[in-house]
Amino acid sequence: MTPLPFTPSQTVGPFFHDCLLRVDRCESTAGDEGGVQIHLEGRVIDGDGAGVPDAVIEVWHAESFARIGTDAEGGFSISTTRPKRVQLDRGTTQAPHLSIAVFARGLMNHLLTRVYFEDDPSTESDPILRLVPETRRATLIARRVPDESLTPLYRFDIVLQGAGETVFFDFKSPAR
Amino acid sequence: MITTIGEIVRGDAAVFPPYLYEAYRSTLRRAPRLPLVEVPLTASELSRPRLDVSHVTAEDADLTRNAGTGGEALGQRIIVTGRVTDENGLPAPGALLEVWQANAAGRYIHKRDDWPGPLDPNFLGIGRCLTNAAGEYRFLTVRPGAYPWGNHENAWRPAHIHFSVLASSWSQRLVTQMYFPDDPLLGLDPIFNAVPDGARSRLVAAYAHGVTEPHWALGWRWDIVLAGPGATAFEAREQSAA
Repeated sequence: MTPLPFTPSQTVGPFFHDCLLRVDRCESTAGDEGGVQIHLEGRVIDGDGAGVPDAVIEVWHAESFARIGTDAEGGFSISTTRPKRVQLDRGTTQAPHLSIAVFARGLMNHLLTRVYFEDDPSTESDPILRLVPETRRATLIARRVPDESLTPLYRFDIVLQGAGETVFFDFKSPAR
Repeated sequence: MITTIGEIVRGDAAVFPPYLYEAYRSTLRRAPRLPLVEVPLTASELSRPRLDVSHVTAEDADLTRNAGTGGEALGQRIIVTGRVTDENGLPAPGALLEVWQANAAGRYIHKRDDWPGPLDPNFLGIGRCLTNAAGEYRFLTVRPGAYPWGNHENAWRPAHIHFSVLASSWSQRLVTQMYFPDDPLLGLDPIFNAVPDGARSRLVAAYAHGVTEPHWALGWRWDIVLAGPGATAFEAREQSAA
């Protein structure tokens, strides 16, 4: 059978809030049992260095899923559980990371990136991170913010364009 | 449409729009300028989140009444239905579809939509549903109107419904827009035209008389084909590799 043609993507536009950020949305709480809570905060920044006030961030890891909109300054703050190592293939594991999707007016397809953690010893040897040009790897590593709270706080900015531009991925299917 | 088109595309460049499409001005300061880094899909991208779908009710899929006012939205009542599948036609059951749209007059209730089109107190313009075992979804709504925007002189968006699809893996995530055929604004719209020529028509629904209900609502059919492998495909591959 001839494969069916894919449906193209389109921007979320500016008017998604009531739908995608409705109060009773379907976020999962999976993985919360027994997991260590962490906070992740940062800003989405455009090519002029300005905050993007109408972006949506989705955070995925294992079975958990969260979605948050940016504020007037482009800021976001997400609580989730600390991710665990993930298998890559037999014999290789990936460092703990969060998968991030960025949606906004002006993004014709969502952008995909990852958050690694600077205080995790396995980050440096992560097999996916090592495929990223060395000079750009730092854009994928969340910095631990000294904080008196019991919940670890990490900082991760998402720069869509320009100086310090975040690495965005195109994931390729394994050959079939 | 003559415009500067960037080379950075995620996914098949014959299908997906480039991040930079100058005629759509919001892309200018938001499109990445450095190449995407190509990496293999891993278990992280093929995981499926466990969504809390207990909130999703049958009423959520009826945009003509889900404002909860007891009244019905004004406009041409339409049924929008179709199947969500992968490229092999395998259905995506249990996918969460979230939709948002302008009312029949082309106005969103959103606080930043302030053009002088009338609001409809009985229309929120948001809905959601889960696909059934065959991957089918169905919404009852009103046909959205076109609306003006500030992209260029006398710019109007063609009538459209926004769709967000959360299916069986992160790699299949899709946000897109559905349009109506014979809309004279389609050829003038930079967002629609940012999609490569051969793929654009897949965003356009087809009138389906078999879906139309007598004395009730006009039927439109629009199928969604997700790129990227689903979690089930990955599991099968893992087993065959073991």
